[in-house]
Amino acid sequence: MPGWLPLALYAAAAIAYLVHFARREPHVGRTATALLAAGIVAHTFLIGMQTVQAGYAPLVGTTAAISAFVWLLGLAYLYVELTTDERAMGMFVSALLALLSVLPALNPDVEPRPPLLRSPLFTVHVLSMLFAYASFALACVVSITYVLLFKEIKAKHLGFFYSRLPALQVLDVMNGRAITVGWLFLTCGVVVGGIWAMQIHSSPDPRAQAMSVEDPKILVALLCWVVYTFALFARRMGGWTGRRAAWLSAIGFVLVLLNFVPVGYFLTRSHNF
Amino acid sequence: MRLLAVGISHRTAPVELRESVDFGRGGLETALSAFAARGLGREVVLLSTCNRSEIYLGADADAADACARFMSEYHGISHEAIAPHLFVHRGPDVAQHLFRVAAGLDSMVVGEPQILGQVKEAYAKASAYKATGALTNRLFTSAFSVGKRVRSETGLGEGAVSVSYAAISLAKKIFGDLTNLDVLILGAGEMAKLTGVHLQAQRVRQLSLVSRTLSTAEALAQRVGGRALPWDRLDKALTAADIVIAATGAPDPVLTRARVQEAMRHRRDRPLFVIDIAVPRDVEQDAGNLEQVFLYNIDDLRTIVQENLARRGAELERAEAIVHDEVTRFGAWMQSREIIPTVVALRQRFEAIRTSELQRLEPKLAGLPPEARARLDEITRLIVEKLLLTPTEQLKAVSDERLIVAYADALHKLFALATDDKSGAREREPEKVS
Repeated sequence: MPGWLPLALYAAAAIAYLVHFARREPHVGRTATALLAAGIVAHTFLIGMQTVQAGYAPLVGTTAAISAFVWLLGLAYLYVELTTDERAMGMFVSALLALLSVLPALNPDVEPRPPLLRSPLFTVHVLSMLFAYASFALACVVSITYVLLFKEIKAKHLGFFYSRLPALQVLDVMNGRAITVGWLFLTCGVVVGGIWAMQIHSSPDPRAQAMSVEDPKILVALLCWVVYTFALFARRMGGWTGRRAAWLSAIGFVLVLLNFVPVGYFLTRSHNF
Repeated sequence: MRLLAVGISHRTAPVELRESVDFGRGGLETALSAFAARGLGREVVLLSTCNRSEIYLGADADAADACARFMSEYHGISHEAIAPHLFVHRGPDVAQHLFRVAAGLDSMVVGEPQILGQVKEAYAKASAYKATGALTNRLFTSAFSVGKRVRSETGLGEGAVSVSYAAISLAKKIFGDLTNLDVLILGAGEMAKLTGVHLQAQRVRQLSLVSRTLSTAEALAQRVGGRALPWDRLDKALTAADIVIAATGAPDPVLTRARVQEAMRHRRDRPLFVIDIAVPRDVEQDAGNLEQVFLYNIDDLRTIVQENLARRGAELERAEAIVHDEVTRFGAWMQSREIIPTVVALRQRFEAIRTSELQRLEPKLAGLPPEARARLDEITRLIVEKLLLTPTEQLKAVSDERLIVAYADALHKLFALATDDKSGAREREPEKVS
């Protein structure tokens, strides 16, 4: 299967979701969902084939991690869409999927797995982090739509988004839930990552030596954890809901994306597998 | 069989008359059986809402007058009183009328969605009573698809077109579900009462009423099913409420920005939807700038209603185009039905000739082996099929009514078709309704 197929399907789904958002024709919506589902299926096959070829899950390197992230986000979104019958967010999510799929499509080769990464802790760490990031991505998209709708209602100009998005309170609750789920996985990922880093600290590999809080990748990840922990507890304790929570969620995901792409590719010395 | 629609609607008759000819009052089944007893037609559907009372009929003879008389006699009103208000549609105009009704184009508030459900119910009742047939089945299922198309392909049904509905749809857009909400109403006047009734219909969790004089609040609370609170509990009630409707007659704002701000402090960012329907205003405009406070006054709501009405106007054309589209399609179907009895008779004639010729030659063919006889049967059948293929297609494609009659006449004469066969096709089973 060609490596660009999931990308093409995600991009087609993004266009279909956009058309559906603007025109709200039910059959376009169903087409969009079908295209997204087809993209995920193609992606699943691709990851499966890579796993069989390499003999291990393709999680080594930033490109592979992005691919896995896209796959998890697609699945998570599809689950939300099918359970809530709400397609308004599909436009944003599938655009993000298509955008991020460009990198794996350009570089479809599975990177060799260094002996350092054979530990099951590594797999748990990476998958937890990626699932957390996927949840945060959904939270961010929900938050963007929240802010758009909030603005329309506040300005008393009920237009485009008013007739297309679910209620503010519903979006707020979705944001809170996505952050809670993401925070749980992020915490798990950070803790497991920490344990694993301690285990391999004696390894002569320079990357294992670089596993410290001073490394940009680890530092920004911890910063994300701080931001989302604040978001979680400020919501519970201080009533940080609504627009403030939405902004916080958006800022958190900007950090996640920064950490994922530029930091992951260029700055880190510990996570450059 | 021809289609006919006779009735009165809000366009043709005042409300008093419409009320007095409501078929739904005594039960639609009773009306259907009374109508059936008159034997006016083979298929009938009675549609009765508060804005219309209509008879849809499939009959061989024109029964417009008889329908009008049925209407006056069944309801016990003089024929003269009803006659000037009746409308009559025939043939494709019936489809045109019903499709516009189902799409909400003929409604008092254009685009209102209830009418489609009412049409469906009227049809279901008639269908359960076995009063419908192939013609009305097709007519009404087409009407349902027109209603559905107009709803999904145009924005005709969108947006609130009354102030109270605009307020409720805004509340739904902010909170989603209204059943868990506390509503606070300030004031005890007519506006306060109306809004209270509307919100109570949405099944909110609690309706609290506050008025300067507790006794008037209590009286209103009893009528709308809420609880009355004394004026000094206002701040507490404000903190607990999700939706506040301000409708007092006070000359100065009751809810100042400071007061709302103080209430918000205790609410931990829970959104507050304030609807100010009082004139002069009850709520300081500035209070709407507080985070999580959504303030709409009566003018804002009116503006929304105006915008929605204007938008509906723009969608009208698209909706009418859909109706036109479906009427054309239905008309073509009806026309093609007209020719069917002739086509059937023609085919039967040809088949009769073929079988009689085969029988006539039977003695000569008796010596042939069975395979050869089967082959012969097959070949003659194919010749007949081939001969009839083009004429059948051509006939079914004719949609001009006069041409259909001319063709039918010519064919009957040329091929000496039996006239009683004409009804053959009409007795077909009613189509399945999906």
